[in-house]
Amino acid sequence: MNRSIPFRTVRDIHAAFESKKLSPVELTQEYLNAAKKSQTGAYLTLCDDLALQQARAAEGLIQKRGSVPRDEFPLCGIPLGIKDNLTMDGVKTTCASKMLENYVAPYTATCVSRLEKAGAVTLGKLNLDEFAMGGSNENSAFGPVKHPTHPDRVPGGSSGGSAAAVKADLCFASLGSDTGGSIRLPASYCGVVGLKPTYGRVSRFGLVAFASSLDQVGPFAHTVEDAALLMDVMSGHDPLDSTSLPQERMNSVAATRTPPNWSQIRIGVPKEYFVGGLAPAVEESIQRSMRWFEKQGAQLVSISLPHTEYAVSV
Amino acid sequence: MVDVNEALTRQVATLARLELSDSEVKTFTSQVSQIIHYTEKLQEVNVQGVEPLSHPLELPTFLRPDVVAASPVDSEGKPKVLGSAPEVLYDGFKVPPIL
Repeated sequence: MNRSIPFRTVRDIHAAFESKKLSPVELTQEYLNAAKKSQTGAYLTLCDDLALQQARAAEGLIQKRGSVPRDEFPLCGIPLGIKDNLTMDGVKTTCASKMLENYVAPYTATCVSRLEKAGAVTLGKLNLDEFAMGGSNENSAFGPVKHPTHPDRVPGGSSGGSAAAVKADLCFASLGSDTGGSIRLPASYCGVVGLKPTYGRVSRFGLVAFASSLDQVGPFAHTVEDAALLMDVMSGHDPLDSTSLPQERMNSVAATRTPPNWSQIRIGVPKEYFVGGLAPAVEESIQRSMRWFEKQGAQLVSISLPHTEYAVSV
Repeated sequence: MVDVNEALTRQVATLARLELSDSEVKTFTSQVSQIIHYTEKLQEVNVQGVEPLSHPLELPTFLRPDVVAASPVDSEGKPKVLGSAPEVLYDGFKVPPIL
C-alpha cells in the first residue's frame, strides 16, 4: 500500500505521537482518507465526526501529560474498525442486511466501549456476510468485500471487512466475531493476526446474535502482541452478559513478550485434514509451519478427528 | 429421502410469502437440496451411548441484581430506540395491523 505512515505496532504509533512525528488527528485523518478511496468494500459506515473527536481527545491527553498515558489509555489514539454486527451508540448497525438497513443502535457494545475507554478511535463499521452467516464475504446485501491484495479472490468471511481493512491499512486493528470460523478464516485468507477467544472471555452484549452459545468477539491486528493488547482491554466479566466468565481482564501482552517453553508444547495434527481437496500451496504452507514449530522444539502428534466429514462446511 | 425440486422450492416460497425469480428458484433448490442431504448424512453417525452435549464449557449462569435501569434517551429526553422507528405513536413503534 502506498502509505506514508505504514505503522505495524501500537508501540511504534505511540513513539511517533511522543516524538511529534505524527498526531492522533493526522493518523485518524489518513485512515479515513484511505478508507474513502479504497475499492475493497471493507467499510459500510464511516464515523468521521466521532473518530476525529476521539482523536482530538487523545491528542489533548498526550499534550497535557507530555507523553502517551499507556497504563491508563493503552490504545490512546489508535484507529480501529468495528464489524457491523456490533453496536455503537448513534451509529447504524446493519449486519450487512437490508432488514437492518436503517437501524441506529441506541447503545454501545461492551467490547467497543471498553476499547473507547482505553483511548481508541472508532473509524467506522466494517462489512460482513449478512448476519455473519458465510465464509467468503460474498454474501453482504451491500456488496462483497474484495481481497485486499488479490481483488479476484475472496477475503474470507464472515469478518471479511475486518481482515481486509487491517491488511489494506484502512484501520490499524479491528474487531470481528467468530461463530464457526468468521475470524479465523478471513485472518488466514488475508494474512493478518486474528483470534477467536475462548467462549465467555469477551462480553457479547451489543453483538447481534448468530448462534449465542458459540459467538465470540475477537481482534484482528498486524502482530500477536497487539491482538493480545486488544484482548486485555476487552476481556473480563460484564454483568450485562450472563455468559461472560467471572474472570478479571487478561494480562496476555506480557506473555507475548516471553518465549514459550517449546519442549512442553504438543501440537495435534488431525490426519483427516490431509485427505485430499487441499490446495497444494496451502498444504505446503501448513507443512512449512509444522516444520517451523518442530524446529523450535514443539512436539507434533498425529491425531484423528473421525467426525470431521460430518462437520458443517462454512 | 426428500426430493428437493423446483416445485417444492416454489411451494415453500409461497408459504413463506417470498417472491423468487426463476434464477433464484434454481439457486435455492440446489442449496436446500445440499442442506437436506447434509442432514441425511448425519444419520450415518452412530451415537449409541453418547451423552447429549449442549456446550463444551460448563458455565453457571451469572445473574446481576434485578435493578431497573432507564432506557437510553436522546437530548430531548425521548427514548433513543425510537430513532429507528419508521413511524412513532405515543413513544412507541407504530406498525401496520397484521390481523
